[in-house]
Amino acid sequence: MTAELEIPPHNDQKLVARTQKGDPTAFDELVVRYSPRLYGLVYHMTSNHEDTNDLLQDVFAKAYRSICNFRGKSSFYTWMHSIAVNMTINFLKKRNRRQHPSMNDPDSRIENDPDFIAATSNGDPTREVTVHELQKKLNAAMQKLSHEHRVVVTMFDIQGMPHAEISKILGVSEGTVRSRLFYAHRQLQISLHEFKRN
Amino acid sequence: MHRVIRLKRYEQPPQGYHEGFLREFHHRQRAELLKPSLSALLRERFSSLMSDFRVPAMAYAGAASVAVIAGVVILRQAPPTETPRAYSVSYSQAPVTIQKMQPVSLRGDASATTLPPNATFPPSYLLQARPASYESSLSF
Repeated sequence: MTAELEIPPHNDQKLVARTQKGDPTAFDELVVRYSPRLYGLVYHMTSNHEDTNDLLQDVFAKAYRSICNFRGKSSFYTWMHSIAVNMTINFLKKRNRRQHPSMNDPDSRIENDPDFIAATSNGDPTREVTVHELQKKLNAAMQKLSHEHRVVVTMFDIQGMPHAEISKILGVSEGTVRSRLFYAHRQLQISLHEFKRN
Repeated sequence: MHRVIRLKRYEQPPQGYHEGFLREFHHRQRAELLKPSLSALLRERFSSLMSDFRVPAMAYAGAASVAVIAGVVILRQAPPTETPRAYSVSYSQAPVTIQKMQPVSLRGDASATTLPPNATFPPSYLLQARPASYESSLSF
């Protein structure tokens, strides 16, 4: 998965410095580097591909406009994620609740994933659910979470980010991140009780 | 639960999306540059309007004469001011005249309202027909 690749931060600093000196191609490299990961973050928050595309364009436009103010107190990675999270949460607060989801099709490799097999059949082949049924239920469960809980689930469970990194991006303590995850998981367990392993 | 939720990572955008994302970013940036702001649009409209506007000959002289005429008309219609004499006249009062003077007794005894024929009291006069209780405490 492209989104799970670790990005070397030292290279970011050079690209940021070049951008700040007026080299737009350096920012292009940053866009190419960060768009897959940020796409995942925004998409799992909004559950809508078109909204994600528009938001992500705005996120990079904002980052480009304010990159001269970036002093390197945090890593560029943290800075970009903070912009994306704040803009997405602001967007979700304004968006109509009746907005229909526009989901991407899951990759076909999901069917070979042992977690998928275990979750969908639960050892009983007669009660198998399809990929799309699972996707629909996961999405519904995610949308029931508050924005603050959804963002920690997205970053921790889906994107595999450590607690420390999440706390830097959100500007809260690690304890708060853990607490939010605990409550989010409890709520997800209620919504997705049928996929609970025996 | 963590493993089930993690399956969402398989939801990926259509193939070639990320390649096209940078192109769209450039396109939007250029469109942003071409799109004028509202203030710039208003400034441009105003400047083009002013460039077409020409002041006709004798316009300044005409405006000055209109201002003079308007000033004269306003001054003529101004109300007359009251003179200080008018105020003095309005505040003047008729002089107080004592119509009748009557001797009264200063003794409070009610039985003495009728004086004996041989009583010799110096006469007193009530100069003002207004009771003392009407006077304010600070008047001397």
